[in-house]
Amino acid sequence: MADDRAGRTTAPGPAHWVSGLVPDLRRDVLFPIGGSLVSFAVLVGGGLAYVALVGGSSDRLVTAMLIDAIAVIGLQIYIGNTGVLSFGHIGFGAIAGYAFAIAAISPERKARWIPDAPFGLTDVQVSPLVAVVIAVVVALAVAVIVGIGLARSGARSGAVAASVITLALLFVTHEVAANWTDLTGGDRAPLSFAIGETLESRAPILAVLLGSLVAARLFAQSRTGRLAKAAREDNLAARAMGVDPASQQMAALLLSVVVIAIAATLRVYEIGSVTPRVFFFEYTLLTLVMLIVGGRRSIAGALVGVVVITAGRELTRRLATDGYEVAGVGLDGTPADWVFREGLPTVFLGLAMLGFMILRPNGLVDDWELDEWLHRRLTAEARPPETQPAPDAGPSRLLEADAITVDFGGFRALSAAGLRADSGEIVGLIGPNGAGKTTLVNVITGIVFATEGRVSIGSTDLTRTPTHEIARAGLVRTFQNLRLFSSLTVRQNVEVAWFTAERYRPDGLRPTVDQLVAAAGLWEQRHRRAAELDYGNSRRLELARAAAAAPTFLLLDEPTSGMSDQESLAMIEQVRTTASSVGAGVVVIDHDLGFITGISDRIYVLDRGAVIAEGSPDRVQADPAVQAAYLGSAADSIETQQPRGVES
Amino acid sequence: MLEIDGLTTRYGSISALRDASLTVGSGEVVGLIGPNGAGKTTLMGTIAGLLKPAAGSVRFEDRNVTGWAPDRMLRAGVALVPEHRRIFTDLSVVENLRLGGVTTPPRERSELLDEMVELFPSLEERWTTSAGYLSGGEAQQLAIARALMSRPRLLMMDEPSLGLAPVLVDVVFELIANLASRGRTLLVVEQNATRMLDVADRAYVLRSGEVVAEGTGDELLGQGDLFETFVGTGNG
Amino acid sequence: MTELAQNIVDGLGRGSIYALLALGIAVIFGVMHLLNFAHGELITITGYVAYAAFLRGASWFVIAPLVLGVAVVASMGIEQVAFRWVRGAPDFTLVLTSFGVHFVVEAAFLMYVSASVKNFNRPGWIADTVDAGGLSFEIFDLVVIGVTLVTLVLTSLLLQRTMFGLALRASAEDFDAARLMGVRSDRVIRGAFALSGALAGIAAIFWLMRAGQTTPGAGITPMLKGVLAALVGGLGSLRGAVIGGFALGLAEVLLRARLPDAIAGLTDGVVFLLIALLFIFRPGGFVTVSHAERV
Repeated sequence: MADDRAGRTTAPGPAHWVSGLVPDLRRDVLFPIGGSLVSFAVLVGGGLAYVALVGGSSDRLVTAMLIDAIAVIGLQIYIGNTGVLSFGHIGFGAIAGYAFAIAAISPERKARWIPDAPFGLTDVQVSPLVAVVIAVVVALAVAVIVGIGLARSGARSGAVAASVITLALLFVTHEVAANWTDLTGGDRAPLSFAIGETLESRAPILAVLLGSLVAARLFAQSRTGRLAKAAREDNLAARAMGVDPASQQMAALLLSVVVIAIAATLRVYEIGSVTPRVFFFEYTLLTLVMLIVGGRRSIAGALVGVVVITAGRELTRRLATDGYEVAGVGLDGTPADWVFREGLPTVFLGLAMLGFMILRPNGLVDDWELDEWLHRRLTAEARPPETQPAPDAGPSRLLEADAITVDFGGFRALSAAGLRADSGEIVGLIGPNGAGKTTLVNVITGIVFATEGRVSIGSTDLTRTPTHEIARAGLVRTFQNLRLFSSLTVRQNVEVAWFTAERYRPDGLRPTVDQLVAAAGLWEQRHRRAAELDYGNSRRLELARAAAAAPTFLLLDEPTSGMSDQESLAMIEQVRTTASSVGAGVVVIDHDLGFITGISDRIYVLDRGAVIAEGSPDRVQADPAVQAAYLGSAADSIETQQPRGVES
Repeated sequence: MLEIDGLTTRYGSISALRDASLTVGSGEVVGLIGPNGAGKTTLMGTIAGLLKPAAGSVRFEDRNVTGWAPDRMLRAGVALVPEHRRIFTDLSVVENLRLGGVTTPPRERSELLDEMVELFPSLEERWTTSAGYLSGGEAQQLAIARALMSRPRLLMMDEPSLGLAPVLVDVVFELIANLASRGRTLLVVEQNATRMLDVADRAYVLRSGEVVAEGTGDELLGQGDLFETFVGTGNG
Repeated sequence: MTELAQNIVDGLGRGSIYALLALGIAVIFGVMHLLNFAHGELITITGYVAYAAFLRGASWFVIAPLVLGVAVVASMGIEQVAFRWVRGAPDFTLVLTSFGVHFVVEAAFLMYVSASVKNFNRPGWIADTVDAGGLSFEIFDLVVIGVTLVTLVLTSLLLQRTMFGLALRASAEDFDAARLMGVRSDRVIRGAFALSGALAGIAAIFWLMRAGQTTPGAGITPMLKGVLAALVGGLGSLRGAVIGGFALGLAEVLLRARLPDAIAGLTDGVVFLLIALLFIFRPGGFVTVSHAERV
């Protein structure tokens, strides 16, 4: 697997557009398709076997389960990849379901329920297949608007506003369905197909199920899907790698809405009618519980959840309605009567949600995927790649932050501070707690906008540019408090940054993902989750990830914080080799003077928001003003503004 | 009074504090100095009960209080003035003080309020103002007064001079000296080492999560290479 | 003009109930960061209590205090059974836990009572009106507004004047700093649920008086209105929650009166749409309390 990548990293060749879409043909296309086929076969085979064994009403149960599976896959594509909790996807289902019913039901029947439908819809009739297409298009149109709104609200993992917007969508669609009776028939006049016109064959459901399984897995493995997952793990770190989460979220939303819309049309077609209740709270709960119980971050989880919840509901329904006995002894009239009665399936759903949230919030399988597991088992253990010689540094470029002033509501955190760094050098930035070091780096990387001053690389002005665009321009940072994509693997962490580099700065030689991982000494751990790494390795991974973005400049915010003296010294070597392997200049903040003087060519000293000294390590260290700033002194002679402690 | 033995605290995989040991005797003023990121705040947080230690023990007045929750530590007699002060900006000055005395009986609380007025006269003028409107120096005084409202036998302060203008830094150190002269037991984290060594009976130097030096102010200053001990250039 | 004045009183009456619910939701969000989608279940539970009391011939003078007491106990009970186990969990987990509670309670009534609507008598004076200066107001609206104002004043005194109130406000601002002052987190959280339950209990009395019925799903609408009002006001801001409640009530009534007849049935839909728009442009609600992300 290392071989097929080697060719395409050297130059933007013909394979470039493929690699832009999917990183690795075998791992990201062939295995997901194979894995999807296997899951499909198991799910459908199991369902059909159950029907054959039990007969009776189990036929409808399995059909409903397969449709639910499609809907839950749709839900997973959005919630799983972006981490945004959506309550509104069933609302998209309602839109599609009604669009489908209105388009496909015969004019004679519509004349009975909705004789006054607007736009002459009463007289329209198209074939079911065309109606599905119409339903998907209508749902997508709404999804685009909702998606723009979500992006505008700053949707991200755990964002309350996004959940409220989607919840509002669910209720708006329900209100329209229930009250715009001219169009929908409302509660009292359910739009229904004539008997015999409904879905007879299971083939379309199976086709859609297989299609959505494959689509969901391919999306998750695609560049877009991986970037979405990175942003799910840490929005800010993803932006600092050059990812614009809004576009990935939109892609996930649109794909998930297509899947949900088709599932909704199947549901309507199978039931034979549509009422406002079909796509409302209950179905939202059912599909959400399925997703949560199985594991919202994986497709395997979605399917497991569908099976477990379907089985549990069916079992509780039977216990509640058909009577029951244990070991041949009937339990009627015993205290068990108190449990096994109508409503038990709903209690089961509620308790499943509650129990899993309290005991196992990541679900039964967490983020396990069948094809990833197979791929790991069926792929020969790769050897670490040879590190490649450092590329010739390109033309030297200059990073300039000039006269930066930052006011935080009356407090001046920085006053006309600045620095310059050449792409060939390592520049240190030191200063006591509260001096404004992190604020300066935040200004340079677009996380905080300066009140005054200018930031540029070469001739490109980066003042007041969004973080992800600054990263794309070649300025990549690390974070003081480690912001790894913690549930992605080591390799995936590096890969995300590598994609953005490939996309936005495709020219030039640079190491492959595997070379970067190996160079960081993380080859053995490459398939482990970032969260499982110890501290030193986490720091090394963060550095490797930043390097993978092929930066012109690396900004390292306290790379040794929390390290012992020895580890700090080892870090010097790693920063040097990493920077030279991608030909980047380095600006490094640290409190550890031993580390800073050991690594830097030049040092800036910041105190109370202003630069108080600049020069070679020796000169700076001997400067009495620097010693005073560090130790504090009774004769504090430095005249500056009075910043408040604004650093974290 | 306070004995810390082999205390280690981790954030996930990060060891922010390694095997730290120190003692504070009754009536002593002990400084804890060291550069940014040395683990000083972690040590304070662990003693106060905000963080759970991974190893080691905390004993206070001959009781093992390792891993006690913050409210229990406060009732045991240990108060912390946290870093960045963290006064309640939604509450008025007097409300902040009353909350600080949540554990003291109501009658003593009003006596203590009078005492705080005497100790911090400038706060009285702002009595019913929202604490969000206080200047940095006033806010720091409020944070200390709030902690004193619980009548702590050990008062810990984390970076009381952080972010203050030089003239206000003077006020803070005068206050520390004042409290010391009243026989208070203090454990103070400071980055402003020289100033701290002036007022402290003894001090510990913390670097990279470890205690690297200990002594009286004169001893530490007398070593001449405090700067190197402090920032670790000796090893570079 | 007359119509407007009547609409406003009507809207304030409705808004009063939303404000009480929203305030309870904001109190809990403050101390636990939990957006409580199970808040409406207090109305479901008290609805069945009111129904049971009504069957035994109780009058509203008995039912009302009973409802209040049950709401407080139920609120604290739900905390003990469910929420205390997810303290400090990610928002995702907290929200879904409250949804779980919502559905378990709903299903329990489905099992042990029935899915059908249970009716009880409304108070006799509910539809009475009083005329003043050519205007005619529902007495009920005036009573609701009056009681709500008294409740809000009492709540405000509780929050301003008592040690518990101080501890609650301090915990909402900085939970750890409050613990450092000796505030017992357990007590504050339990107290917050009790207060939230009491506020919901008063809202429930009026909600049930007006509805005169209950069903297992009766809690959804009040929950939704309360949550939306709390969000509109800016989660975590107690004042914002009250303002949000009144604003939502007024918006509903005024919209219903102004919308063309053809889509008057869609009032709720339009309100939801407006709220969605609000969140698109002001993700933090009217009163923004969120603090900048630290890096």
